Amino acid sequence: MRVAVTGTPGTGKTTASEHVETDLGVIHLNEVIEREGFTQGVDDERGSTIADLDAVERWLDGREDVLVESHLAHHVPVDRVIVLRCHPETIEQRLTERGESPESARENAESEVLDVILTEAVDRQGIDSVYEIETTDRSPGAVAEEIEAVIAGDRDPSAGTVSYVEYL
Amino acid sequence: MSGEQSKWGIAHVHASFNNTVITITDQTGAETLAKSSGGTVVKQNRDEASPYAAMQMAETVAEDVLQQGVEGVHVRVRGPGGNQQQNPGPGAQATIRALARAGLEIGRIEDVTPIPHDGTRSPKSSGF
Ligand SMILES: Nc1ncnc2c1ncn2[C@@H]1O[C@H](COP(=O)(O)OP(=O)(O)O)[C@@H](O)[C@H]1O
Ligand SMILES: [Mg+2]
Repeated sequence: MRVAVTGTPGTGKTTASEHVETDLGVIHLNEVIEREGFTQGVDDERGSTIADLDAVERWLDGREDVLVESHLAHHVPVDRVIVLRCHPETIEQRLTERGESPESARENAESEVLDVILTEAVDRQGIDSVYEIETTDRSPGAVAEEIEAVIAGDRDPSAGTVSYVEYL
Repeated sequence: MSGEQSKWGIAHVHASFNNTVITITDQTGAETLAKSSGGTVVKQNRDEASPYAAMQMAETVAEDVLQQGVEGVHVRVRGPGGNQQQNPGPGAQATIRALARAGLEIGRIEDVTPIPHDGTRSPKSSGF
């Protein structure tokens, strides 16, 4: 089984994934993209490379029992996709502390408000494969337990359960 | 293109998975002329309620700014919108149609949906 853990940068995907106890192999996809050079251009305005998702998909071919962690993880074929959600103010603060520019932190926070990744995940994987987890004010261990519950099949799919529109 | 004397605004449409929020500002974006009442309408049924709620809000804000002498709006759509459709969601599309039906001229339509990114980002989805 392939499980994706996605969410806006700063929601705590990497941190939570490191706390997850699972037989699945954890793949930090951003590291793979950087290491293997799976890019197809540069976004100068954002200071980001543009991922080559076809190359990523080919690389994942044959890797089946994995937990793929990245804000791009919902773009690859998976059986279940977990979308971590976090209050936009927390995201903005974390990203600024991590050294991202104010513009970057702001755009990611706005992405979170507008459910950009959730909507993409539902479009790409189907609503019955999506599991939304609200992480605001929860410890990495608690988030990891929720991820474990999804892997174990102890949780129902969910989408659209959080709303941050008041932050607009 | 309309004459110099005509008054134009900008309709900002924020389309999230469950909500659509419409704000109409002046051309500089500084002054808010109308805001969708209640800010958002939470949908019970995403398939039905979103376009309907968005249309109702669009009618209300359109009437409001028409009375203020605004003849047309440029539209800036932020957010993919839900409903398992292409970008932007039916909330945004229905909003633009309703603004037009209420008597506002529609100028440029721009998709300014934010892109989640860190050191890398996904290729931009097709937009509209
Ligand atoms: N549950 C949490 N509670 C408090 N801080 C957290 C939590 N999860 C992550 N963080 C902090 O937030 C920042 C971003 O976390 P990270 O796991 O790198 O996010 P992502 O991988 O989603 O971009 C890090 O500084 C991390 O220590
Ligand atoms: Mg990370």
